[in-house]
Amino acid sequence: MHTAKEVIMNGKTISCCLLFLACVGLVSFSNNVNAANTIDIGFTGPFTGPVAFNGGEMRKGAMLAVDEINAKGGLFGMKVNVVFGDDESQPQKGVAAVKKLISRDKVIVVGGGYHSSVAIATSEVCEREKTPNVIAVAVSPTIMAKGYSYIFRTAPDAFQMTDGLFAWLAVRKPKTVAFLMENSDYGRDSEKIWLAEAKKLGASDLAHLYFQIGDADFTTQISKLKSLKPEVTFSIGSTTEEALITKQSKELNYVTQWVGAGGHMTEEFFKMVGLDSLYIIAGSNEPTLAMKDPVTAAFVKAYTAKYDGARAGVFSSQGYDNMVVILDAIKRAGKPSGDLQKDRDAIRGALTKTSLNASQGLIQFDKTGQITKARSMAVQVQKVQGKAQLVVIYPTELANGVYQPPVPWSER
Amino acid sequence: MESLFLQQIANGLIIGSIYCLMAVGLTMIFGVMKISNFAHGDFLMLGSYFAIYTTLCLTGWVGWISAMFIAAVGVGIIGFLAERWLFRPMMLRNADIDVLMLSIGLSIFIANAAHVLFGSSPKMLTDPFRSQNIDLFFFSTSLIRIFSFFLSVLAIIVLQVFLTRTKTGTAIRATSQNRNASMLMGIDTGLIFGLTFVIGSAFAGLSGVLYGTIVTITPTMGGLPTLKAFAITIMGGMGSIKGAIYGGLILGIAEALGGNYISMDYKNAIGFIIIIVILLFMPEGLFGRKGR
Repeated sequence: MHTAKEVIMNGKTISCCLLFLACVGLVSFSNNVNAANTIDIGFTGPFTGPVAFNGGEMRKGAMLAVDEINAKGGLFGMKVNVVFGDDESQPQKGVAAVKKLISRDKVIVVGGGYHSSVAIATSEVCEREKTPNVIAVAVSPTIMAKGYSYIFRTAPDAFQMTDGLFAWLAVRKPKTVAFLMENSDYGRDSEKIWLAEAKKLGASDLAHLYFQIGDADFTTQISKLKSLKPEVTFSIGSTTEEALITKQSKELNYVTQWVGAGGHMTEEFFKMVGLDSLYIIAGSNEPTLAMKDPVTAAFVKAYTAKYDGARAGVFSSQGYDNMVVILDAIKRAGKPSGDLQKDRDAIRGALTKTSLNASQGLIQFDKTGQITKARSMAVQVQKVQGKAQLVVIYPTELANGVYQPPVPWSER
Repeated sequence: MESLFLQQIANGLIIGSIYCLMAVGLTMIFGVMKISNFAHGDFLMLGSYFAIYTTLCLTGWVGWISAMFIAAVGVGIIGFLAERWLFRPMMLRNADIDVLMLSIGLSIFIANAAHVLFGSSPKMLTDPFRSQNIDLFFFSTSLIRIFSFFLSVLAIIVLQVFLTRTKTGTAIRATSQNRNASMLMGIDTGLIFGLTFVIGSAFAGLSGVLYGTIVTITPTMGGLPTLKAFAITIMGGMGSIKGAIYGGLILGIAEALGGNYISMDYKNAIGFIIIIVILLFMPEGLFGRKGR
């Protein structure tokens, strides 16, 4: 026997269950509708957190490529839809985001990827799930050294990135060097490469100092460097940390030849430190410095037009190339069959045969999935018409200026 | 003759003085209200943004000095509203965990709201001394760091005088020592709670200007100061202003010397190792009151 209250309760429970089932049905139905009309691509990066602005530049570049193709009617009559996964600069969040993209959003390929530490973790997930993963920015050689077959990278690795820079350093031959690095896979892997090159040049390494992502006070490290007086100080870090290191070097009156990489070369960096950035040297594949290449020039123009005059930086260019390569592979793989694994494998196959000119130059993959060649220049920040400007100092055929050794802060 | 040892001591003292300023507000709020405010670093971040927008309107020294007043008052008002509308109703429920969760939630909310309002691009406050360096006999540093050091010391002295020499200050100390007895003596503890939270928040705002002048300002910058302020507060003794002063300076110097002579990799960990050691021997912290 059921009491009246129990009957009412049961009725309520059944209604709730029905409502829930209806919602689930509606959601899966809408997903199916979505799946039929769009090609879903996953794209990960740090869209919030300490380097959200760099992640945002990468995303803007990628969306330029997507909007270009959608304006032409999409692919196979279907609209290209990008599903973003925010890694917040943390490997565990990146893994969660990629798992969601692969299993819930059922994307056919995953692009993006900014931090090396995150990409090392997420590439493992993609390989396990047999989903092609095209990495846009992360430079650590560890990612590609694992021999994965579904992982590709449209960016130079730490070796390729420093080709131009080391060719220049070989000419300068510094006697003493020191390292100030981000304590991460990006910093540590780059340090190994730079140290090996410095040893080849016969330089003695005076110090290896580290800092954490998000650190704000570098006076301890800079004071130590100042006491050692290295001719060249290599520094690898993100924009915010590099801006503070530059500022605090001035505060502590530390003069050295700073040599850096990506973090020194963003628009945000120059906005923050202005003329204090003078004399810094970095390996760069800055698109605005390679305007002789018509594809690069077209990208820079389109980017500036789309984003209200914003300057196209390295990360925007790498995001753009990443998406261009993905879209090209989908196109060559043929219309998606609806069998997710078959489509993912077809795209992986098409990626291996990639050969196209993008904003960073010719993109072809070697056996490991790494691009075969990267454009690499040594650039220095110099004062041009009262403003801090990037000047190419090496290789000579691209150079538009000569090296200027750093002068004491009081004379700047 | 520059000495690396003295240089690191100076680096530690200067950054330590700013740590003190961060921790003083936090420890005061805890001492009086028994609230662990995890949004303290986010209040500091708001202070930095108040300063950014003030210096956009007013340049040079006038802008920077006004920024300090506006940040302290602005964050003080936000603190007043947070205490009146968020913390007080929660405290009346008498469940510590609710208040703790509220402060964590508030921290996430403020950081995300700042993301939407101010954008994610890092910003830098204009240093009125233009990062000018000063070479003292044994070490070199920047004028702004020296100035920040003295300003932090001054702010803490003013607070100490207020707490020990005025009637309101005495009431705050009395409430901190024994809330029930204070109520029996006719002290309006509700008013004291509000005032304490406003002062604590104003100190967070003020330290946001000093800290913001030497670091970059982003919506997520509050995390590190919260962590440091808590470390200092626990080391010095929860609720003790004297503890916050010693704790801040010890942490600053330990980080500088530890980083230099032990390992840069563990610079941030050194502070926490010291906390563990101090708490092992002095469970109440350096100047904490014994719990009952």
